[in-house]
Amino acid sequence: MSDLELEERLKKRLEDKFGGDILEMAVQRRRRLWLTVKPEKLVDMMRFLYEEMGFNHLATITGVDFGAELGALYHTTDQHNIITVRAKTPRANPSLPTVRDVFPGTESYERELEDLFGIKIEGLPPGRHYPLPDDFPPGQHPLRKDWKLTDAYPEPAVKEAK
Amino acid sequence: MKTKSLKEKIITWSRVKSPWILHFNSGGCNGCDIEVVDALTPRYDLERFGIQLKPTPRHADVMVVSGPVTRQQIKRIKRIYDQMAEPKFVVAVGACACSGGVFDGCYCVAPGGLDKVVPVSAYIPGCPVRPEAVIDGVVKLLGSLQK
Amino acid sequence: MSKISIPLGPQHPGLKEPINFGLVLEGEQIDKATVNLGYNHRGVEKAAEERTYIQDIYLIERVCGICSHSHVTCYITCVEEIAKAEIPERAKAIRVLVGELERIHSHLLWLGIAAYEIGFDTLFMYVWRDREHVLDCLELVGGNRVHYSINTLGGVRRDITPEIKAELLKRIDILEARTKYYTTLATEETTVLARTQNVGVLPKDLGIRLGACGPTARASGIARDVRKDEPYLIYDKLDFKLITADTCDVFGRVVVRVLETVESCRIIRQVLNYLPEGPISIKVPWKIPEGEAVNRYEAPRGEDIHYVKGNGTDKPERVKVRAPTLANYHAVPHMLEGGWLADVPLVIAAIDPCMSCSDRALVTDRAAARSAVWSWEEMRRNGIEFYKRRGVDFSKVTLK
Repeated sequence: MSDLELEERLKKRLEDKFGGDILEMAVQRRRRLWLTVKPEKLVDMMRFLYEEMGFNHLATITGVDFGAELGALYHTTDQHNIITVRAKTPRANPSLPTVRDVFPGTESYERELEDLFGIKIEGLPPGRHYPLPDDFPPGQHPLRKDWKLTDAYPEPAVKEAK
Repeated sequence: MKTKSLKEKIITWSRVKSPWILHFNSGGCNGCDIEVVDALTPRYDLERFGIQLKPTPRHADVMVVSGPVTRQQIKRIKRIYDQMAEPKFVVAVGACACSGGVFDGCYCVAPGGLDKVVPVSAYIPGCPVRPEAVIDGVVKLLGSLQK
Repeated sequence: MSKISIPLGPQHPGLKEPINFGLVLEGEQIDKATVNLGYNHRGVEKAAEERTYIQDIYLIERVCGICSHSHVTCYITCVEEIAKAEIPERAKAIRVLVGELERIHSHLLWLGIAAYEIGFDTLFMYVWRDREHVLDCLELVGGNRVHYSINTLGGVRRDITPEIKAELLKRIDILEARTKYYTTLATEETTVLARTQNVGVLPKDLGIRLGACGPTARASGIARDVRKDEPYLIYDKLDFKLITADTCDVFGRVVVRVLETVESCRIIRQVLNYLPEGPISIKVPWKIPEGEAVNRYEAPRGEDIHYVKGNGTDKPERVKVRAPTLANYHAVPHMLEGGWLADVPLVIAAIDPCMSCSDRALVTDRAAARSAVWSWEEMRRNGIEFYKRRGVDFSKVTLK
């Protein structure tokens, strides 16, 4: 495993700092580290990655429907490696803190989480819809697995029935 | 077929010789857009038919629409169509504008093609359309005006 | 002086990032700019979950017509990583070849648009005429001018024959000579300098904080290039320079793009001479096992990142696409603030958002309570006239 030395070192540093707050962590392959963190520690972790470890670029945030839970993946990079931080939140009342204080250029990614998954982002200033249309029915989140097109627009169902 | 008066002939002639087009992307992938612009640049040079790209609907005779119609754009496309002066023509460029293409069935795309939103005079299929196809489509549209 | 607010946009041809800029003016200077996104959202990510991996190749290709190869390559590397499929070396080389041809196509297209925005129409026509050579090359390799669909699961669809190779080498020589001429033109012609220098400035530290990427970041001295930072395909075997500029303005972005085009010509020559023998694709099962992968790709406009999650069936569980432009939009308000209204079209075009805009701007004069709708064309005209009054006139420039 000598070729994964650097990745193991990154893992060790995060383990030393956050310990029990990291629910799981694994080196997937060269340059890829995946971990799950408790949502309340998310912002601390992002700040640590940015300020101490040089992971100064948040490439994007991916929302994922895990079934019982919803979650977000924060892909941070220091140009050479990608550390993906998972944060999960219960489906019944999903909410995650904003990471805008650390990475100011992430507003649109967080709005995507709100619109497409219905994850409430704590601390995100109110703004317009993104990326759904202005007249999209409220309370509908198309990227959730149980969402169907007919929930928002019943008319195509009529067309198919013909 | 009734014969046209001289006045009508002159009007048709001037219309056919200088159709000004408005290019509108209703939510497409840019593939068709760059090919439409390509048709206007030196190699294909649509301008030799008197065709010019115009930025405002009020100056244009033909609206060239590319891309599937997204729900956010339905209202806008209708408004732009209403702003155009008569007689007006709409050309659907590309598979997406003709029928929805690969995006038919997406939640933010209006089902069906452009003709569900505004009346369409000519369809140019292809994904993306080739500049030759654009020229062919436009010339056929102009030919139908002469009759 | 009363402040004027202008909403600019939102009709903008693009992926899901058509934009609306709210500009607050003080005289002709921009006091504050805000960005609103999300007009042409089509729902590609949901659609990708309902289609098979093979169908998704053609769907994701149509996310963007200009960098279609970038998106597909990024997506397909994720899928192949989950399936643990190692594709043949020859297929990797062909992917790089098409990727670099696409970079030339995109950068030349951009140079034309930028020339058009500053009122240098002759250069626009020149560049677009020469761009036809790249499109011919792409048609030769992939069979289509824009969506060439060279990728398939496990490799590429078409091989490079010796005849194609000879033709490509011939065209690349023409392109390189023309690009070198444009480099001289863009860096020495005083009228171009007058329009681009100190316009749309993005300082280095701000660029890093806002997550800028691609030529926009490299023009601010940020050495970010996925091809160098995390070499994918065969980029670790190639010799090419990472181009940066430290002027942080639109001029820097022009320089970075034209020099990158020259580098791409060099890369293409190396790839064609390297091209190892062997098959061009391997068989990959239709069902992709459970697993997830995230990969980056240096698209012409910057870093493109895709995330794919497989669930053991022939359809993906989740596909996430983040196009480079989305990362760069956050930097635009900072580039605009403090600048002139006349520079707005150029600054927005300088990040290469997507091509020509039918954008309409609503000019509202609050004090006089009157409003007028400005088209993008009128904005552009206004910009050209504004600079003509200051002695910058492109009608006096002669080209060879």
